[in-house]
Parts: sequence; structure tokens; C-alpha cells
Amino acid sequence: MIELRNLTKSFKTPAGRKVLFRNVNAVFPEGKNIGILGRNGAGKSTLLRIMGGIDYPDSGRVITDQRISWPMGLSGGFQGSMTGRENAAFICGIHGIWGGSKRKVLDRVQEFAEIGDYFDAPVKSYSSGMRSRLAFGLSISVDFDYYLVDEVMSVGDAHFKHKCEQVIAEKRKSANFIIVAHSMPTLKKNCDVGIYLGPSGLQIFDTVQEAIALYQQGIPKPAQASVGAQK
Amino acid sequence: MHPVVQRNPWQIQRDVIRALLIREMKTRFGKWRLGYAWVLLEPAMHIMLLAAIFSFMGREFYPGIPTALFMLGGIAPFIFFSNCFGKGVAAVESNRGLFNYRQLRPFDAVLTRVLLEFAIYLFSLVALLAILAWFGVTARFNDFLMLIGINLLFFCFCLGVSLTMCVVGTKFPEAAKFAPMIVRPLYFISGVFFSLEQVPEEYHGYLSWNPLLHVIELTREGLFASYHGVFADLPYLATSSLVMLAFGLLVYRSQWRDLVRSQ
Repeated sequence: MIELRNLTKSFKTPAGRKVLFRNVNAVFPEGKNIGILGRNGAGKSTLLRIMGGIDYPDSGRVITDQRISWPMGLSGGFQGSMTGRENAAFICGIHGIWGGSKRKVLDRVQEFAEIGDYFDAPVKSYSSGMRSRLAFGLSISVDFDYYLVDEVMSVGDAHFKHKCEQVIAEKRKSANFIIVAHSMPTLKKNCDVGIYLGPSGLQIFDTVQEAIALYQQGIPKPAQASVGAQK
Repeated sequence: MHPVVQRNPWQIQRDVIRALLIREMKTRFGKWRLGYAWVLLEPAMHIMLLAAIFSFMGREFYPGIPTALFMLGGIAPFIFFSNCFGKGVAAVESNRGLFNYRQLRPFDAVLTRVLLEFAIYLFSLVALLAILAWFGVTARFNDFLMLIGINLLFFCFCLGVSLTMCVVGTKFPEAAKFAPMIVRPLYFISGVFFSLEQVPEEYHGYLSWNPLLHVIELTREGLFASYHGVFADLPYLATSSLVMLAFGLLVYRSQWRDLVRSQ
């Protein structure tokens, strides 16, 4: 269960504070995959990160007893001068995986990422594709109740993409996803609950279809709507 | 599949600090030629250079204590303090990427760095004393227990300073520019390489406010039987260290969300 209680978040802009959402209350029951949609800059990623405990709201709380992952495929935490293996071992360490089970996870990451001997080379020598593969391999090798996915469900070439999709389909049996995406098929396929972040704040729907409908309805509209409102 | 086991907060803290320590060691020394030897070489070069200059000038700073040892007792603690100060200022910015993992907080980054600096400081102090002793530069040792006590307090003091600077350095990035300007004068008024007894008596009252001066004098007192600091005052050091630690923790606790939060 993930509960949002009185969540308010705003951003500083040159023209004053822009409120993304205000006093949001919601309860997401266990076993629901959540899709977040909205236009660029609406605060989708911010909401995702707040739910994941990485960012913080201005006021309010996120209450959960679930184990929530870091944003999937994130490579920002890598230390360039350390090897892929050392970086992976560090991530294992902060998640309490040491010794024998760490070695198993590392083997799994190496096998999944398909970067071969580069696994023992410094991360700064990686191409961006290899970096993402390593990050993605790490994400799926540590078990969580909820995985955070920001935009990318898959990275790399066609072969690797296929592999990622398979793994995610497998994961969905035992874990849930919170997904931010602009691709409607992805959301339709993977999500149960929809959150729409619009100009009027945050709306939660029991099915992702409703959220998608509202989002798509909003696409050509904003200019006309504002004119209409002024009259 | 390897489940993340449910851990209690202490276990999480322990795992995070352990992983971070390994990471810091690898990034700090892994990339250099000679690797971990730099743990020792860095302070050694600093101390030896200053000791060489002052020995060359042919002065003895304190009767009965060789110049190199006298210097070591002042410079080693000061380097530890100055590293904690500087690392604290940069702790958040240089670790931004790490805060994408929810169990990692600026506090962990600061604590790890102070712990590592502390270990390096103690190790290099002992190693350099041993090396100097091997070359025949020795003085009669005084009080081991006192050294332990002083260093525990000094650790608290530096952790407090580092936490405070972590908040200050993130809220006011300009602070990074002023940091050396604060540390450098401290170098001169903390009795690092000369004894402050030469300063006119009337200023002693002001100088004795500086906890670093107490640390350095007490360290020398603990190390050398023939040293007696005029300022050294253990109760004052204890109070100021605990106050500094409490202050650092309070400042951090009241501000930590702002350090991580997107604005």
C-alpha cells in the first residue's frame, strides 16, 4: 500500500511559485500498477520521485511499507573511476546484499547487461548504451515490491529491448510498477491505475484508460480552452 | 532473484556506511599510482616539508622535543580538521547522483568522509611517529588514554563542523570560496607550527576560545611527556566538542530535506 497524505509540491519559477499539485490524498492498494501521465513539465517525474522517497514534497507525507526501487535504469549514481563490478557491488551493499548473494547478483548483472569483459573496466570508459545496460541489469537484479520507471522501459538495441520486455513481463508477476511514460501502449499494457497531472492539478482514475482519454482530449485543447475561459 | 531483506534502521545505516567507505577508498586512492600509499604520503609530505624548513632554520620550538615531532603533533590534527571542513562543504554537490537511492542521505556521505579522514589521520600519525622513531627521532611518550579521549572528542567536533558546513555549503554555494579563507587563518592561531606562548599575554584570553588550539596542545601533551601546553584545557575541549556536534546535528536535522529536495 502506498498512501499519499496532504501532498503539496511547488516549484520556484522567475514568475513566482508554480504549484504542481495541492493537498493530494490517495491510497493505492497493493498489487496495482500505477501509470502517471501529463504534459512536459507537469511534474510527473517529481511525483514519481516523491512516491519513491527520493524527493520531498513541500508539505504532506508518503506513507508506505513497501520496498520501492530507485528509478529503473538510472546511471547517475555510478562513479566513473570505479569498474562496473565495483559500482554494482556498491549498490548491492547499500541494499544489504553482501558475500555470496552479492556474487550471485553480480554474475546476474554481468550476464544480463551483456557487456562482457567491460564489466571490469572503469565505467567512464563505457559508451552510453553500455552504461544504460549496466544500470538496467542492476535494477532488475535487486528485488523490490515497487519499481519506479521514468520514461524508459527498455534501452539499447532491438535484441536488448526484447530481453528487457521479457524480464519486465516476468517481474510483473511478483512486483508492481509505477510508470511515467508518453507512450500510451506502454501505459495501457502495464498499468491499472492512472494519474493525470493537468493544469488543474492531479486527478486519479481507477483505470488507466480514463486517464489516457483525458490526456488525449487535452492535447489540442489548451489554447482554445484558455480563450474560452477569458470570455 | 535475490530479495532485499527487511532490515531495521541500524542495519540499513551500517550497510550504507560500509558500502560508502569501500567506495570512498576506491575513488580516493584507487586511481593513483601507488594507490593506498597516498594515505601516508599525503600528510607525510606536508609535515616533512614544514619540518625540513624549520629544522633548516635551526630552531627548536620546544625544549626536549625534536622539531619534526613537534610539527607532527600540530599538523596531523590540523589536516584532519581542514579536510573535514572542506569535504563537508562539497559533500552534497559531489554526491548528488547517490541521493537517487532512497537509503542514502547527505548525513551518510558526511559521516563516511569524516570517518575515513579520521582513520587516515590516526593511521598516518602512528605510522609517521614509528618512521621517525626508526630514524632515531623520539621523545618520551606520555599518556595513551588521554590521547584516546582527546581524539574521540576531536572526532565529534569535526563531525559537527562537517555537518554544519554541509548545510552551509549547499544553501550558500558561495561558501566554498570562503572556506579556505576561514581555514588558513586558523592555521596560524591554532599553534600548528609555533607555540602561542610567544604571543603577548593580554591576547591569550581570546586565543583560548579556539577549540583547535586545545586539541593540538592536548595532543602534544598526550604524545610527549615533556610538553605542557599553557592553554590546554580538557573540560573546555569536551564541552566545545559536544556543543559543536549537537549544533551540527541540529542544523542538519532542521535542513536536510532542503538539501535533497528539488526546489
